[in-house]
Amino acid sequence: MSKLFLKIDQLRTHLETGKKVVKAVEDVSLEINRGETFCLVGESGSGKSITALSIMKLLPASIASHPSGSIELMDENPISILDVKEDDMRDIRGSRIAMIFQEPMNSLNPVYTIGEQIIEALQIHQPELSDQQARIKAISALDDVQIPNPEQRIDEYPHRLSGGQRQRVMIAMALACEPELLIADEPTTALDVTVQAEILSLMKDLQRRNNMSILFITHDFGVVAQMAHKLAVMQLGKIVEQGEVQTVLKNPQHNYTKQLLAALPENLKQQHRADIQAEIKQSQAEQRDRDLIKIENLKVYFPIKKGVFRHTVDHVRAVDDVSLTIKQGEIMALVGESGCGKTTLGRALLRLEDTTEGAFYYNQHELTQLSQKQVKPYRQELQFIFQDPMSSLNPRLNIATTLIEPMKVHGIGNNKHERIVLAEQALEQVQLKPEFLWRYPHEFSGGQRQRIGIARSLVLNPKFIVCDEVTSALDVSVQAEILDILLKLRKDFGLTLLFITHNISVVEYISDKIAVMYKGKIVEKGDTDQVTSSPQHEYTKQLLAAVPRLH
Amino acid sequence: MTEAVNKTSSGYAKAILKEAFSQISARIGLIWIGVIAFFAVFAPFLANSHPYLLSTEAGISSPLLQHLSPADVIILVLCITVLILIYLKKHIGFNVLALFSVLIISSVLSYVFIEPPRLVVYEQYREMEQNGKVNWVINAPIPYSAKDYLRDYGETGMENPLGQKERTHWFGTEQSGADVLSRMIHACRIALGIGFVATGIAMLIGVILGGLMGYFSGVVDMLGMRLVEIFEAIPTLFLLLTFVAFFGSSLYLMMVIIGITTWPGYARYVRAEFLKLRKMDYVQSAISCGLPLRSILFRHMLPNGVAPVLVAASFGVASAILFEAILSFLGLGLVDNPSWGQMLNQAVQSASFYWWMAFFPGGAIFLTVFAYNLMGEALRDAIDPYLKKNN
Repeated sequence: MSKLFLKIDQLRTHLETGKKVVKAVEDVSLEINRGETFCLVGESGSGKSITALSIMKLLPASIASHPSGSIELMDENPISILDVKEDDMRDIRGSRIAMIFQEPMNSLNPVYTIGEQIIEALQIHQPELSDQQARIKAISALDDVQIPNPEQRIDEYPHRLSGGQRQRVMIAMALACEPELLIADEPTTALDVTVQAEILSLMKDLQRRNNMSILFITHDFGVVAQMAHKLAVMQLGKIVEQGEVQTVLKNPQHNYTKQLLAALPENLKQQHRADIQAEIKQSQAEQRDRDLIKIENLKVYFPIKKGVFRHTVDHVRAVDDVSLTIKQGEIMALVGESGCGKTTLGRALLRLEDTTEGAFYYNQHELTQLSQKQVKPYRQELQFIFQDPMSSLNPRLNIATTLIEPMKVHGIGNNKHERIVLAEQALEQVQLKPEFLWRYPHEFSGGQRQRIGIARSLVLNPKFIVCDEVTSALDVSVQAEILDILLKLRKDFGLTLLFITHNISVVEYISDKIAVMYKGKIVEKGDTDQVTSSPQHEYTKQLLAAVPRLH
Repeated sequence: MTEAVNKTSSGYAKAILKEAFSQISARIGLIWIGVIAFFAVFAPFLANSHPYLLSTEAGISSPLLQHLSPADVIILVLCITVLILIYLKKHIGFNVLALFSVLIISSVLSYVFIEPPRLVVYEQYREMEQNGKVNWVINAPIPYSAKDYLRDYGETGMENPLGQKERTHWFGTEQSGADVLSRMIHACRIALGIGFVATGIAMLIGVILGGLMGYFSGVVDMLGMRLVEIFEAIPTLFLLLTFVAFFGSSLYLMMVIIGITTWPGYARYVRAEFLKLRKMDYVQSAISCGLPLRSILFRHMLPNGVAPVLVAASFGVASAILFEAILSFLGLGLVDNPSWGQMLNQAVQSASFYWWMAFFPGGAIFLTVFAYNLMGEALRDAIDPYLKKNN
């Protein structure tokens, strides 16, 4: 048996949407050996998932076509996948090439137990298995992916499992038939870093045991550095660079690869940042001692209601006894895994969520006790930038209306003309053209929308902005731009930011102080450099250890 | 990164309408409704026993204009206003305001100043012509009014289409001798009016209550939903029957009853949309910018949540027309004024079956309901994100 398992040669995939033809994949050639991990890296829309779907022949035949190229499975007699009939393809899918997807929440069928789903996959590909044998095999597959008590868990429904466990089940399902190639399409993107680290090490482990090839699709260079043997960088449907992982990462040849690597927060110019920091420290030395935000024992509980009369039986302690002070001009990062209450805390500060107990002082004014009407004057100075740029702009209003309406309410600018000029200035501050004012949100890309979101909070001349995962929906290069805009604004206007994120490398780049949140409580806080270099709390240590590092 | 901006600017509503009416079925529906609307507006000019112009020894006169009722005039004025507004392309708020002010002014003026003669003798012109008192006359295309029972021709009744040599009745005549085509043209007004007004009432109540329920949720929502359930339990048709039995048949009563019994559907749609929209980031951001409630509800939420209501409304118009037809068919509708359902009723009243009395009004009802449904389907497809290929 030869070493080579899959060979893609000059593959093109075209997608027809209406009259337009999208050249999703253009002249892609790659070779995957047995037992090797091949990483496809690229930004969103670069064609990496389409390449994977082409290998599986999962693209709808009505819109997808392959004008040229070949995909070959290297057996004694090579099989050309593009020429295989749909019926025969079914024998290849699952048993020889298996695939796992990004969103573990959606990829399991909620009405069957996980056991039934694994057994079904097993029996389709190995019809000679009896029910009893299949069950034993399924249990051992669950055991392989380190699900505790597989004998009991096999009869559970997917909703009883966490995101990480579901992804493990997906892997167990994919591996149950012992495929020779596993295609993993961003399998850890939706998971927390600590869970991601576990899944990655599990995949490595299983690969070694089964001598399986993995085609790993990701946008995260940290993950690439940990997983890959070989690496290919995709841009606009083409592979611009490929080779051994260490060679490419250490010594990138193509401009695009260099750009991508330079845009990683950990590679952004640390020196440049230090300069800005020194400048700010100098100019605002006297102001920085003032506490702008002071949170005292803040609690946000959500009641769990049961029964006919909806009486409260218990509470979800989303934010549990949090105390935090943020000084004027500071960037405070709030870090934690999903569901730890960091977004709720941010929303509570802006009175978008009612607080249960505790106090929140802004400039010595207590805000939690005020009515919504009394809070209104403060709304101008406290702003929020949302996570998802796709849903944070009203699709029916043009950008001008979105920016100008809040100004009018708060009496900024004397007339419409003046406000338009101010809105244009705000757009320029976030490096957008003033004529974008007359367009609608759907005409912009994610990065542009996020900048408009920033501009919207800027027009009110805020003092304090809560940034809720503002870069997590964006590609690395766009993320770098947004981070630089935020740093520049901080420098120009002396803004104070609460930067909510789960991405440690972003935190290290942007923030002065860090607060680590775990299950509603802040477990550790301090200077960013100090906390990241010598974490004290157990959870912080775990979190930092799990972050996939480039070097 | 360079990020291309590739689409030209246009509002969402415009895009939806453009997409919906790019479908052939929707266009056919729209054309049919347009034809009906044309008939409704110009009914007195299309089918009327009064001639446009009449020259006698007493001089030239226009009996048709003299006999125009205030309602005819109001409808004409409104139609002209709508055409002007479409031509001007102003903001929607301005349009609604202009339309309402024109409606109020024209109704006051026309009811004060226009007084058509109380006693209408339809036969006089034909008799004058026979007696040779007329120099020349210009008649309407269909020279019979809806209530012209052709008394001058003696015993008339059900006559076949084109069954008489001396008179042309394209669609035949009905029981008491009136021209069916003329009656059908005049009935267009009722069909359109009941559909739009009843649906308008239902939409107004539904959007306001549903919006409040969705935005405030909690107790307001719970009480509102119970109210919705109560109203949904009312069988509209039997309520209509009861009211007609007690208060006699009145078109306005019918509109109101259909309106206040069908609003829960719209309220449900709007509530569901608002519950979803309330948690959207852009609504949250509107709240966090301190915008007033009025702006949040009507500027940021309603335009984003109104699309499914419009779809439901186009089906609602169709069902209101059917309700009226059913009532009239049961003989509980309008007595003297023409309506399609009432004509259908006559088709089966006696032992023999008069096919023209069933075919023409039945066809009109069918086509109109069909046209609204076609438009509703097209709108539904246009707002359905799953059917969108690129956005």
